[in-house]
Amino acid sequence: MLKKLLNPVLLFSLAFLAVAGWLSAAENTPQAVQVTIRTILAGDKSDEFDPKLKGMEQQLKALNHRSYRALKDETQTVPWQGSKAFEIPGGRSLTIAPQEFQDNRIGLKVRLTHGDKPLIDTTVKIANKGNFILGGPAHEGGSLVLSISAAVQ
Amino acid sequence: MSQCETIQESIGRWLDGELPATDSEAVRSHVAGCADCGAARQRLEKIQLTLGSMLSAEASRLEFSPFWREVQRRIDEKRPWHEELIDWCRSTFSAPRLAWAVPAAIMLVLGFLSLAKWPVGGETNNYASVESIDAYGRNVALLRDDKTKTTIIWLYQNPEGENENVEETAKPGPAF
Repeated sequence: MLKKLLNPVLLFSLAFLAVAGWLSAAENTPQAVQVTIRTILAGDKSDEFDPKLKGMEQQLKALNHRSYRALKDETQTVPWQGSKAFEIPGGRSLTIAPQEFQDNRIGLKVRLTHGDKPLIDTTVKIANKGNFILGGPAHEGGSLVLSISAAVQ
Repeated sequence: MSQCETIQESIGRWLDGELPATDSEAVRSHVAGCADCGAARQRLEKIQLTLGSMLSAEASRLEFSPFWREVQRRIDEKRPWHEELIDWCRSTFSAPRLAWAVPAAIMLVLGFLSLAKWPVGGETNNYASVESIDAYGRNVALLRDDKTKTTIIWLYQNPEGENENVEETAKPGPAF
């Protein structure tokens, strides 16, 4: 019986399954999520395009504004099942709470407030290292555009 | 066991040249000086001589050529396909090979599942799936840009004056 158990093929199979299971478990339980909020002011008074936004030019073009200026970039590590608040220009605040990680997609609960007043609550699932855009709030004669991206750690 | 008994047990191997050099020399010197062991040696030599002559006489009467012809015929004989198939299956699916097929199959399945999970070809699907939106009475547009695979949630200002910031006014919204 012991000889059978020590068969190298069987040992290799068991070790392989154990490593695969461990890697799978590690992937499904990330320690934290790195969330980056890029705040952009979109307007129509000029044709200015901030060179810092070159990487997301194609995404911003879909918004049909004439000018785009980067106002702020902020990155925070948010613990799993925790939440972090990001300060947004104009006295607003964006709270991000990671919910789940499945199939390489991150579930995020997002809440935008202005003072004590909630503006929007949404729950989205985005690709790991992907982003989505939340826009619309008025600011300095234009509209705020928030690029919300997340990556598991 | 006496020395003579030990030597007499080794005489057969000594005569056949199977003993190491030191043992062979010990047996030879003992047999040369011991009458009993010398007699045992002579008996063994006689038996060997008799057997050898008998076997030689019998072997000369045997005809080996039919035996070798049959061996050659079996080597040259083309075997039926089903026998070859059975032999191939037996060698391919023998226990050690079949055992290695198990981890190989596991690796293939895991590899396939990984490919299904991770994007192949570099382009990632950046679309977000929106599970819920509550804009507290404000109008919201949910858009998907196919070019960049980007999901956009656009919060419209309320034209009726329920503006979140009275000092700031934005246009009703971009012309998507």
